[in-house]
Amino acid sequence: MRPVCGNVTQGPARRPLSVYGVSLLLMAWDAKTAQPAPAAPEALTGPLSRRPAGGGPLPPPAPGAMSYQYTTDLAAVRAVVYRYAKKAGLPESRAVDLVLAVSEVAANTVRHAKSPGSLKIWYDTEKIVCQIQDDGTITDPLAGRRRPSLEAMGGHGLWIVNQVCDEVEVRSDETGTTIRLRMDLPQVEPGS
Amino acid sequence: MWYNKCVDLLTVSVTARESAGEPYTLVEIAGEADVTNTDELRRLLDDEVSQQPRTLIIDLSGLRFMDSSALHALLRVNRSLDRQGGVLALVSPQAAVAKILRLTTADRLIPVFDSVASAAAG
Repeated sequence: MRPVCGNVTQGPARRPLSVYGVSLLLMAWDAKTAQPAPAAPEALTGPLSRRPAGGGPLPPPAPGAMSYQYTTDLAAVRAVVYRYAKKAGLPESRAVDLVLAVSEVAANTVRHAKSPGSLKIWYDTEKIVCQIQDDGTITDPLAGRRRPSLEAMGGHGLWIVNQVCDEVEVRSDETGTTIRLRMDLPQVEPGS
Repeated sequence: MWYNKCVDLLTVSVTARESAGEPYTLVEIAGEADVTNTDELRRLLDDEVSQQPRTLIIDLSGLRFMDSSALHALLRVNRSLDRQGGVLALVSPQAAVAKILRLTTADRLIPVFDSVASAAAG
């Protein structure tokens, strides 16, 4: 299949070898012509991170997402996140940001939750996502959206998370809290 | 490489020094400071603050990570020293620590130096 796929952009000169080959051609054509059309990627950046807590249910994590349980071993959580961030291709400074963000969220588990927290990480060519889930509840829908004063003795954690991540999604009710953090990966220019 | 291995350990060492006849207290914090060891950190720092130093210098060069609860411990030291007429200075934060200081603008409240010598010189 690989040679067919590799020649897809050469046009119909090369005869598709199978039905599968044809579908590959169509997919390539679709992707190429459809790319500039949808406004969705635009809408998925910035504004979402300022959306209040709540909203519909989150789509499930990607199949094969890494799963890690933690209680108070935050250094281990940070080590795992850093390793995956580098593996996914996140630049060093953004990897440091993601480690900071996940650590702040996981610190809330240590402070407030009564059972272990669960960390899931998955990535593709566009993004890396870290999901932190515990049985704590966030009651303030604007938690982390306002800059706390330096006099305040708390409240910096979620604010920092919102500052460094490309997208933050929070779902919280009396059964628990799920926070999903997304970092966009650097994109290679088409054709290079 | 910022992160080589996972060590859940915070070490704090304190020494009394002098610079051009002016005494100062040097606190070196190394390892990773987060919510799980903030109480310990706060207690150690409170002990130093209660000695009423004129200048307290915290060397962060060995600190790989600091979260917001550890940051609050530093802000608390700054406030206490300020009230008793002392000065707090931070030295050589690594990338992750510098980031949280910058994000929260704590680095505009507490002076940050690139060496203990320059911090001691004020």
